[in-house]
Amino acid sequence: MSLDDLLPFLSSRDGALELFNLKRLPQVTLYFQKGKLNCVYLGNKPVDALQARSVIGELINARKGSFEFIPGARAKVCPELLGWPVDRMLISVTTTYDEYAQVSDRLPHPETVFKLTHIAVPDDTRLSDFWKRAHIYLQNGISAKDLASKLGMPVDHARFYLLKLQQLGAVSAARAHNAPEKKRRTSAAARLLGSLKKRFFGEGSAWSH
Amino acid sequence: MEPLKVVVAGPVGAGKSTFIRTLSETEVVDTDALASEEIGKETTTVAMDYGTLHLGDQLLYLFGTPGQDRFDFMWDVLSEGALGLLMLVRGDKPEDFGSARRLLDYITSRHPVPYVLGVTRQDQPPVWGPEEVAPFFGVPQERVVGLNARDPRSAVGPLVRLLELMVDE
Repeated sequence: MSLDDLLPFLSSRDGALELFNLKRLPQVTLYFQKGKLNCVYLGNKPVDALQARSVIGELINARKGSFEFIPGARAKVCPELLGWPVDRMLISVTTTYDEYAQVSDRLPHPETVFKLTHIAVPDDTRLSDFWKRAHIYLQNGISAKDLASKLGMPVDHARFYLLKLQQLGAVSAARAHNAPEKKRRTSAAARLLGSLKKRFFGEGSAWSH
Repeated sequence: MEPLKVVVAGPVGAGKSTFIRTLSETEVVDTDALASEEIGKETTTVAMDYGTLHLGDQLLYLFGTPGQDRFDFMWDVLSEGALGLLMLVRGDKPEDFGSARRLLDYITSRHPVPYVLGVTRQDQPPVWGPEEVAPFFGVPQERVVGLNARDPRSAVGPLVRLLELMVDE
């Protein structure tokens, strides 16, 4: 049974769904109450909304695993009550993965550094969760690889969110600077420019491009 | 006087090898190999293309990077200490713009290298022009130049623009 079949089936009951024997994750526990996913534990720690989305995504893509449902179980500690209706959460995560598959060849390189271009929280809740956690780091410039490490999420997810923010114009690649090198280059360019024009367009010829 | 180098980058089929062959005054050294996957052409650059230009007493190397992602380590090797970067993209293949932007962003965020974006195949309309391509890449209009990589007077345009921008900055 796939997780997207299992979740709606169990979520109408209050309790905890424990998933284990997962290839890429430690034990995951999902706590449901009144048809909503309220809390996600990774191992023995609760995760925030951004990490919870990544975990659910990984679970849906996990081909194998074991599960056990514990009726009535509640999370001991849950700093961020998610309150996600299960049906909407599944659509959201599945849509994200479909989009991800479409843009996988255009995702930014993990080491490309991005910076904020303007501060405006995106409307899309998937992006706004990421934004809330990431914008402080993006103010000074950071790569998907470093961001993923700081936020505790897969690098590919960070790359996906950065691409989406780039498409919205909220972030752009940070262009590296080096003042001494710039001076050296300017001097070299001035030397080369005249010779280049002369070579391809002749002495004193008009130049237009 | 130490030689300087200009890096020519871009997705597979952007015209990098053609561009370097057109401008180089010496026989171009290339490392083309039969493509091992479907990339729209029979051979592709697997390490780099290499050509030269003597401008006065200055020797300029033209290094073309491989277009495929699995050779991405070469992007860093070739960009280190480069005078400038020419990023080429085919004007009649907008589906490649995303991978070209990805490459431009990667190199320029890691290396403090001035760049110009060259939009090739301007001689083969219908084709996207430089003014249409610039917003997609989020770069200023003056950094985007149209060209025909087979014509020396057209191909040299992005290199001239690159040097002009560096002098003006």
